[in-house]
Amino acid sequence: MSSSRQDYYSLLGVARNASQEDIKRAYFDAAQKLHPDKNTTAGETELFLGVQQAYEVLSNPRRREQYDATLPPEETINLPYLYRIYYSRPNLVNLDEPQMLYIILELAAPVETRQSPSPPLNVCLVLDRSTSMQGEKMDLLKAAAIQVLRNLRKQDVLSVVSFSDRAEVIIPAAYYQDRMLLEAKIQLIQPGGATEIYQGLEAGAREVMRSLDSKRINHIVLLTDGHTYGDEQQCLALASKLAERGVGISSMGIGREWNDIFLDVLATRTGGSSAYIAEPQDIKRLLLEKFNALAQTYAEDTTLTLTPVDGVELTYAFRLEPDPVPIPVEDALRMGPILQDASTRVIFEYIIQPKAVKSDVLLFLDGILKASIASHPLPVPPLRLRLERRVSHSPETDPPPPQIVQALSRLMLFRMQERARKELDQGNVDAATRHLRVLASNLLTQGERSLAQTILLEVDHMQEKNALSAEGSKKMNYGTRALMIASPKKEQVS
Amino acid sequence: MIICTNCQHKNVAGAMFCAECGAQLDGVETLITQAITDEQIANDLSKKSARQDPVSTPVNSWISLHLMDSGKILPLASRNEFTLGRLSEGQPIMPDIDLTPYQAYASGVSRLHAVVKRDAERVLVMDLGSSNGTYINGRRINPHVEESLNHGDIVALGKLKIQVLLRNI
Repeated sequence: MSSSRQDYYSLLGVARNASQEDIKRAYFDAAQKLHPDKNTTAGETELFLGVQQAYEVLSNPRRREQYDATLPPEETINLPYLYRIYYSRPNLVNLDEPQMLYIILELAAPVETRQSPSPPLNVCLVLDRSTSMQGEKMDLLKAAAIQVLRNLRKQDVLSVVSFSDRAEVIIPAAYYQDRMLLEAKIQLIQPGGATEIYQGLEAGAREVMRSLDSKRINHIVLLTDGHTYGDEQQCLALASKLAERGVGISSMGIGREWNDIFLDVLATRTGGSSAYIAEPQDIKRLLLEKFNALAQTYAEDTTLTLTPVDGVELTYAFRLEPDPVPIPVEDALRMGPILQDASTRVIFEYIIQPKAVKSDVLLFLDGILKASIASHPLPVPPLRLRLERRVSHSPETDPPPPQIVQALSRLMLFRMQERARKELDQGNVDAATRHLRVLASNLLTQGERSLAQTILLEVDHMQEKNALSAEGSKKMNYGTRALMIASPKKEQVS
Repeated sequence: MIICTNCQHKNVAGAMFCAECGAQLDGVETLITQAITDEQIANDLSKKSARQDPVSTPVNSWISLHLMDSGKILPLASRNEFTLGRLSEGQPIMPDIDLTPYQAYASGVSRLHAVVKRDAERVLVMDLGSSNGTYINGRRINPHVEESLNHGDIVALGKLKIQVLLRNI
């Protein structure tokens, strides 16, 4: 990729208003990667010299000031990805009551990179071998893992860890001449023991860290069929730590006795997602799909760090594609990867209080978007994202863009089951029943008969037991998510 | 504030779907339709066929469907239950009354859209989980729930309006 004249800030991958502390950290990070003692690719020594020069200038406040004066305005920065924003309304209205605003942020890889070879993988497969996996499940899981191994390219690194209440490294992260031997090692995994996800995750993290490389896609794929007890917090803390180091987690639950909410949170901490494997026969297909997606990653974990705006509340965030998943609303929103050939779309729901719409223009989103791109030799310059809407005195008349209406018509269904589950957790069976019934009839009107049937069965189950069935709740959760993918393919950003 | 016309729930201004019942709120102009694409082709085709064979009302029908757009009246007799829909290829269950000649496709009629039936004292209509819904005099009815019909009621399958003409039973 030919990068036009890079400015010092882009070289270091920091924002124009970065603090001295940020600049220092960015320099150390870049230097570690590009130092002539370590770098392997032609041209990186030159880059290293550039980074050094940038640091010399920017770390000196007086020279930084002089340099800043020579820079063109910020808008002209060359981003290595594309972005587009859809608004549900052309403007806000000066109202004395709260109002809602939806936006879709769409990110995509530049057209010219869509065909380029994908970066090498550094993936650890973390496999549950607890007693419950015994039999068909274990056999099919092994077969799937072996197929993954066979599909790898020469440059990929795959490690395999199995776990029950303790973990074993089956294949350490390294390059191997003869992968046939590794297949035998996978074959030898024996089921037995309880499920402690932290054990597996921790061993998997160690393997991925061993060949951690920002030029690779660093990822852990966790497959489990059971609940973990007592170590959830440890798992989540580890996930956050991994996310900071650029390691993603994808979790896949097999059968029905696993905690979909926990596996979801675990994965979304890193910008990843969870998947539901209803039948063991599907393990291979879904695992191979996962690896295909990983091999098509253009940018890893894009993160939007938000500065709070008074009177504006981000109430909900959901990634529509790829892998539909609710995104936990925090100061730093992990929006997940950008794939080479499909855009990443995230919808945000804002509630805006009356006090925020007293001026002519409202800046409702002020944030910094960061991405790391394995195939990009330099750190990606952060994008300062500042989104505004004019405030008018009369309501708008323009219809909302179809992209937003389409997305919301589907998202509404997912949120309704999400809400019903919350109500049920709080013991409010009546409300949960009502919302599931409404959900079922909405599904019927959208032509989703079998899912509607599942939900009506769940309503019956709930009437008797005051709880959802383990299977039904997962079918609802992942079934309503899948509807987002079913919507017709949008044109891409170009 | 937007009040949902379906369930009276109070939604925040700017909302597009009712938080309580999921209905699309007023002011959201863009209709969500899945079934309707390539409308024009279907339109042109069905216009031609709709003009053929004008009305002739035989006796003994307990209900007649007056297709308001084409003016045609379909008298129904001999059975106590008729499913309404449109015929399409590869469809396992066929509707009793195929509405394809009356622009069913372009109007958003599902393949198995609704059923009309009669019991001892009433005539009923029930939506069969259609994509675009069934309306009685403009009010959308819930799928799979029977609603009674009166003489002169206007039933809309999607956008296809049908006036129900009943004989005393």
